[in-house]
Amino acid sequence: MKATERDPKTRGWWTSILSDIHFWVPIVVLVGGLLLLRFIR
Amino acid sequence: MSPVSSSQFSAAIQDASRPRKLQLLGILSGFAAGAWLGAAEAPTKLVSTGISPMVISLIMVIGVFLARWSLPALILGTSSVRADVRRAPHLIIWALLAGCLWAVANTLTIFAIRDIGLSIAFPLWNSNSLLGILWGFLFFNELRQAGWRRRAGVLGGALVMCGGAALLAVASSGRGPAAHSLHGVWAALGAGILWGTMYIPYRKAYLTGMNPLSFVTFFSFGELGMMTVLSVSSLGLTPLWQALLSARSVVFWLMLGGFVWVVGDVFQQYAAKYVGISRGIPLSNSNQLWGLLWGILVFGELHGRSSSIYLEVIGGSLLMMLGVGAIAFSSATGQEQTRWKEAAIRESDRYGVATDFVEARMDGRQVLGEAKPSRSGLDWLLVVAATSVFVIFAAMARVPQMSLHWGPAALLTAVLFLFLVICGLTLWRTTRFN
Repeated sequence: MKATERDPKTRGWWTSILSDIHFWVPIVVLVGGLLLLRFIR
Repeated sequence: MSPVSSSQFSAAIQDASRPRKLQLLGILSGFAAGAWLGAAEAPTKLVSTGISPMVISLIMVIGVFLARWSLPALILGTSSVRADVRRAPHLIIWALLAGCLWAVANTLTIFAIRDIGLSIAFPLWNSNSLLGILWGFLFFNELRQAGWRRRAGVLGGALVMCGGAALLAVASSGRGPAAHSLHGVWAALGAGILWGTMYIPYRKAYLTGMNPLSFVTFFSFGELGMMTVLSVSSLGLTPLWQALLSARSVVFWLMLGGFVWVVGDVFQQYAAKYVGISRGIPLSNSNQLWGLLWGILVFGELHGRSSSIYLEVIGGSLLMMLGVGAIAFSSATGQEQTRWKEAAIRESDRYGVATDFVEARMDGRQVLGEAKPSRSGLDWLLVVAATSVFVIFAAMARVPQMSLHWGPAALLTAVLFLFLVICGLTLWRTTRFN
């Protein structure tokens, strides 16, 4: 494997994203924003 | 001890000065972003009222979409975007998420301005820089081991800029609070929170080595997709189409606003990459100052207003410049940059991105043996297609009947291009846009 390629042994990137707190903060804020938009409209 | 050749010695000095160069590059990008993002308001001022704010926003986003695909194709070529995606495919999700956050925030600002006026709404959503500082500190090791002087410089500078923004907004708005004031306050605060949080995906992408030009390309899908959903759900498909048709004489000006905004945003992305979000966002927020300069000097917005208004403008501008200066002089030290690298290693471990690639991209260079980006026929096709759309709508555009001060307009445009040339050349020489 070249050094610049992804490590094939790494777990799937969907699993990595879904278990990442950094992902859930923007998701919660986005859902909150959509609910707020619905509320004020 | 082995003898050291002069080329090795100069390479060592160059390596040592590299972080400092990248910091200066990030600060310069932040200044350029402020100027271009502020100028993006100018073409939209040529559009008279009577068009739904949702339609205005959607047309601007279409212009943004065209620019976000054609500019990266022109600068580096889409092969570079494809290579980035192969290395870090998870970043597509982050870019789409950031685009969705932007679209919802932008729509909320429309309601905020309608309900409480720009004077109250703008300082509320401008607080996004404070949230960006918090996320940068909590998630990406920014301002860690930075020393109290630099922390005070960044946080104090951002607070002073918020104060300056409040004064400028009060001066530039002739409207008082309208009905639904509480709704407007919530909308403005919500927009600030969404925009402040949007920088989490930005920083995430750059710590993992994604090129800003690749990031903005996928960002545009989230942005246009979410904006289309919001517009259709708000107006309905047929009324939206009719509104777009009836607005065809002003589509060019709105798309031009979107195009100018993209240039500013690309610089903002490079600022976020090289100085982090805690410094990059407040520097880009100087766009309000530039927007006001266009409003006053070119469109004569404060003509005939009282001297107290002018005092507010001068005071607000000085505060904003003071805040910008405090942040610009608080660049990250070696210890803080070591903490950034720790955050980058954490990201590369989590997502399986090669460490040498992440290190090289943080350093603004290519990995040894990496193919140089090149443009193909597809890239030129994208550029020609986007240019053609702009030319078609320019031919349909109606020149607005309004008095403009062409001298200041030419001067401000010259300043914009000066920023573009200086910052663009510095980016090219230092990083080759990597």
